[in-house]
Amino acid sequence: MLGRPGTEAVIAVDDVRKAYGDVKAVDGVSFEVAKGEIFGLLGPNGAGKTTTMEMIEGLHAPDSGEIHVLGMDVRRFAPQIKSRVGVQLQTAALYPQLTVAELLALFGTFYAASRRQPVERLLDDLELGEKRNAQTKNLSGGQRQRLSVALALVNDPEVVFLDEPTTGLDPAARQGLWSVVRRLKGEGRTILMTTHYMEEAEALCDRLAIMDHGRILDSGTIDELIGRRFRERGVHFGRVGAPDEEKLKALPGVSRVAYEVDEVVLYTSDVPATIGALLELTSRARTEPADLMIRRASLEDVFLELTGRALRD
Amino acid sequence: MLVALSVANLKSFTRDRAALFWTLAFPVVFVILFGTIFSGGGGQYEIGWVDQDGSPASAALREAFAKDAPVELSDGTYNESRERMLSGDVDGIVVIPKGLGAVIEAWQSGQRPGPIPITVVTDPSRSNTALAIQQIAGGLVMAANLRLSGAPPLLSVVTDSIQTRQLNSVSFFVPSILAMALMQLGVFASIPLVQQREKLILKRLNATPLPRWALVGSNVAVRLVIAAVQTAVILGIGVVVLHVQILGNPLSIAGFVVLGALTFTSIGYVIASFARTEEAANGITSVVQFPLMFLSGIFFPLEILPQWLKTVATFLPLTYLGDALRQTMVGGAPFVPLWVDFAVLAGWLVVTLGVSARFFRWQ
Repeated sequence: MLGRPGTEAVIAVDDVRKAYGDVKAVDGVSFEVAKGEIFGLLGPNGAGKTTTMEMIEGLHAPDSGEIHVLGMDVRRFAPQIKSRVGVQLQTAALYPQLTVAELLALFGTFYAASRRQPVERLLDDLELGEKRNAQTKNLSGGQRQRLSVALALVNDPEVVFLDEPTTGLDPAARQGLWSVVRRLKGEGRTILMTTHYMEEAEALCDRLAIMDHGRILDSGTIDELIGRRFRERGVHFGRVGAPDEEKLKALPGVSRVAYEVDEVVLYTSDVPATIGALLELTSRARTEPADLMIRRASLEDVFLELTGRALRD
Repeated sequence: MLVALSVANLKSFTRDRAALFWTLAFPVVFVILFGTIFSGGGGQYEIGWVDQDGSPASAALREAFAKDAPVELSDGTYNESRERMLSGDVDGIVVIPKGLGAVIEAWQSGQRPGPIPITVVTDPSRSNTALAIQQIAGGLVMAANLRLSGAPPLLSVVTDSIQTRQLNSVSFFVPSILAMALMQLGVFASIPLVQQREKLILKRLNATPLPRWALVGSNVAVRLVIAAVQTAVILGIGVVVLHVQILGNPLSIAGFVVLGALTFTSIGYVIASFARTEEAANGITSVVQFPLMFLSGIFFPLEILPQWLKTVATFLPLTYLGDALRQTMVGGAPFVPLWVDFAVLAGWLVVTLGVSARFFRWQ
């Protein structure tokens, strides 16, 4: 759970709890984020990711526990922290009647002139130049998300908080935002993000914490998370016309057989042996496996293993 | 940052056409509407004169009527006059019965016949008009009686007006409409606040180093700027178009405008403290503003309300703002002394500030 020894923790969360009435939204969460890394909180809706983020951002006070950002206690140094971080909320909060440029300029005035980024540069970086004079109420979903991210960058922040940054975006827009996030890391910023998309966590995060029901179930790099639980790989192929389960189970190396919506997965620790035997089996029946793939276990599998539920709801 | 935020809020306001309409166009429409309604017509009544007698006496009576009373007479038969009253062309009918001349002659030659009735027809659904016509007719008949009886009049009535300045209905309305506009401006401040809270704008601002006092300060500053514009527009129309004379000290007027704007904006904050959604804010604002408009002496003077409603009015802050503006702007008759107006408004301001400081939620 701790960062690599010797690196400063930019964010340190220690046994934080928050309850709303009877509901324990955040139930004893601890983790650290090292400087310059992209750290993800991965989990389904309602896991407590946003509540955790918002406590770190200084928007809510935890019931108990400590949070330090950039070495400062959030409870006592909120304004100093806020001037050095950027926040993108889960739902874009934009003044409907202001134009994109006006809104960026307005938020710039909340920070010291030395940190303020030129509006033109923000517009370019997030590809909003065309829309600089459009009122925010007239922007598309993807443009609103990009504007929210731009607003988080007006003060050249050392730490950027992104809450579900690509929810509701089409694949092209999502890819676009991913490259923005990678560029931010390249600029030396530290990023804490939440997501419920496994592909996003795999694509962007250096380290992850998997959350459910207000708790962190496990954390580490992706390789660590998967490697701790799955020594095996998955052999995937089409379900239609596949051999019987009995025969599949009997193939060498196979520890278990799983059935997904339209594919069969053979979990094996000896991929060559399993594939060889599978192909022999199917050729004897004069067929071959459709869409044959070898994949390592995914975060989806990790989540399923940890909670007994699928990550996608 | 305070200036930038105020400018941004102002831009948001001016680009929101609905808000602009309610804040600026609506009171202007009211001022012009009431101004034109009440500055025309001088209380003349149209009376249908039905002379069923046709004698010199009835003609003399007609002459007296037309000369002494604020009436316009139009002659006709009873049926004709009834028709015209039903269609609204005349306000009342006076019927001189057949035989009036004969009775008067008999009286003048020493006989004492019984009284002969002059019928006055009025419309009870228009009580003010009916009362006025009855009184006019009654007065004239009484005077005619006296003359006929030959007794020299001992007592007479001379009317005199108490108002030494030219205060007409329009002068009553302009400050009242301004008070109403300031009330609406403040109370309606709750709506964008709740909208911004709903749209999470307040939450987003909370993630920046912007201090809370700057956020509130900029909202209030914007309201004051709009109040200044409203005042200028309403006064401008009042003076230029409706010829109202502004008689008071500009500083006192400005002082009460600012105090009124602040007090009602603070009330708006209280509404925003308790309204969770924009619909709720709309609902509460309506429930608040309509009784205020109608029971605070804005559209009609408090004197004509029944006692229990007058008591209600003494609890309403708008009563005091309207009174203060009427006194300072046009020298209207005071409801309470000016310092009382000031104290009540200031008291409301302090209390509502306290309530919203305690209960306002930014998310």
